[in-house]
Amino acid sequence: MKPRLAFFDFTGCEGCQLEVLNFEQELLDIISAADIVNFREAMTERSDDYDIAFIDGAITTERDVARIKEIRERAKILVAIGACACIGGINCLKNFYPMEEVLRIVYGESAHYYDTIPARPVDAVVPVDYYVQGCPMTQSEFVKVVKALLTGKKPEIPNYPVCVECKMAGNICVFEKGETCVGPVTRAGCNALCVTNGRTCWGCRGLVDDPNTDSEKEILAKYNLTPEEIIAKFRMFLGYSEVAK
Amino acid sequence: MKYEVITKEDLPPFVNGLLSEIEVVGVKRKDGKFYFDRIESYDELCLDYDVTLIPPKKYLLPPNETLLKFSLGEAIQVEPFIDAAPRIILGVHPYDIKAIELMDAVFSDSNPDANYMERRRNTVIVGVDCRNPSPNAFCPSMGTATTETGFDLMLTDIGEQYVVAIGSEKGEELLKKHARTRQATEADLAQRKAVREEALAKYKLSIKAAVEEIPELLERNYDHPLWEELAAKCLSCGSCTMVCPTCVCFDVQDDVELNLTGGWRFRQWDSCMLQGFAKVATGENFREDRTSRLRHRYFRKGNYMLKRYGKLGCVGCGRCIGACLAEIASPVEAYNRLKEGS
Ligand code: SF4
Ligand code: SF4
Repeated sequence: MKPRLAFFDFTGCEGCQLEVLNFEQELLDIISAADIVNFREAMTERSDDYDIAFIDGAITTERDVARIKEIRERAKILVAIGACACIGGINCLKNFYPMEEVLRIVYGESAHYYDTIPARPVDAVVPVDYYVQGCPMTQSEFVKVVKALLTGKKPEIPNYPVCVECKMAGNICVFEKGETCVGPVTRAGCNALCVTNGRTCWGCRGLVDDPNTDSEKEILAKYNLTPEEIIAKFRMFLGYSEVAK
Repeated sequence: MKYEVITKEDLPPFVNGLLSEIEVVGVKRKDGKFYFDRIESYDELCLDYDVTLIPPKKYLLPPNETLLKFSLGEAIQVEPFIDAAPRIILGVHPYDIKAIELMDAVFSDSNPDANYMERRRNTVIVGVDCRNPSPNAFCPSMGTATTETGFDLMLTDIGEQYVVAIGSEKGEELLKKHARTRQATEADLAQRKAVREEALAKYKLSIKAAVEEIPELLERNYDHPLWEELAAKCLSCGSCTMVCPTCVCFDVQDDVELNLTGGWRFRQWDSCMLQGFAKVATGENFREDRTSRLRHRYFRKGNYMLKRYGKLGCVGCGRCIGACLAEIASPVEAYNRLKEGS
């Protein structure tokens, strides 16, 4: 029997689900290998009977907490897709303000109708089986994870920094151009997309398993970033991790 | 060795002649840096440069390469895959030629690497002597500032003309076919020697130990605190090895089509500085800590390669020095520290 796939969105821009729809040939292959039974952005039918749940968005309310637990119970395999679900992502910027203030800034006088908790990645609440990192999620990695699920093989997700892919691409190092970058501690897998296109890496794919963030901070300081600027740089995507505190 | 001379006016028609026959890659400039890339005409070519971002190894061992293709089904079919289109690499510096000689030794050893060997056979190397070395280079210490082997042709800029050393029949043939040259005179060769010596004086870094001393120097200092001190700053980012012309490690993986009808096996550059490099199937990692990985790199360059292939694993190009943000990858500093302390 074909595996039944379901997509669920939490707090985020839903850009990751859009990335799934942006597949062309791959989407047809996925549909022929599996049944998609729940996908709010693409279909009206819904089913609570699924094998593999793909989650995008961070957990930011008590309702989210209850809902993700329920999904975890139903799904045999749970895959977090995108920075918000995998590492908390930019949602965690709010964690550095008191929650009442956050509510007031966003909802003004209606603030009391809403609840909010500090933002967190999915695996802060329930176990996650696979991650598709990136903001938006890295499409090729999504395909990799789907293939792994179809073949029962472990997906090969890079556990080395973006520097590796920058060098393979023949990029000039961002630091040599007088800019700064968190690529040296960020998990590769994006083919150094941002740097290759003239930008710098902000860490949307999360940290590598054993990042030398102390050394990275020293390097950023050597390139004239103040301690506040260094923390701000890490908070962009990595607000949930120790390095940004 | 035979030597010819080609004037600077005659060089563009020579290069364009080569281009009419075969793919040519050469050095181009980008934002003040240099890199090897395919050229379409002589005008794109830069022959006076210090060092390229990535060495020409990328044409012999591509960062990512398909090794075989397979189809699944009743009977599994497997086809080797070798992309080895003929190519000239134009403007290779002597240290990079020395590094290619080392790659040749590695890939032809015991179980020759079919993909590398075929590509190597189809590659013509036209070298150029380096007149303005990179501030990070230390080729004279490694004996790689010039070379008399490893090329098909080797150019030396002696002012209004180039001396062309002929290193192979293939090189000679190409020169005869596409270039107007004359035989080099004693005076030309004397000038060539002078130009090379002038360049030697421009290198800023040097290793205080003799090359022959390095293997033993390392061995004696296996437990030196230096390794730990450097490793504390190491990002395990692999930059020092990715840019290194003598680093040739790769990782092999299989991938399948999404419709599961077939797939391919590929390899991509790997690095002993990366955390997962020495991890095996059981999950055991033989060099889990940064210190052992960092030390391994230095030993591989300064000791292991020599023992196995009779050549040191470093050609002094200095790329690693420029690439390491933590400023800990310099063989010059490491060997000099050990030398001073011993
Ligand atoms: S170790 Fe450094 S200096 Fe030596 S060949 Fe490699 S990149 Fe060049
Ligand atoms: S020595 Fe430098 S370039 Fe090499 S892995 Fe460590 S930090 Fe990166």
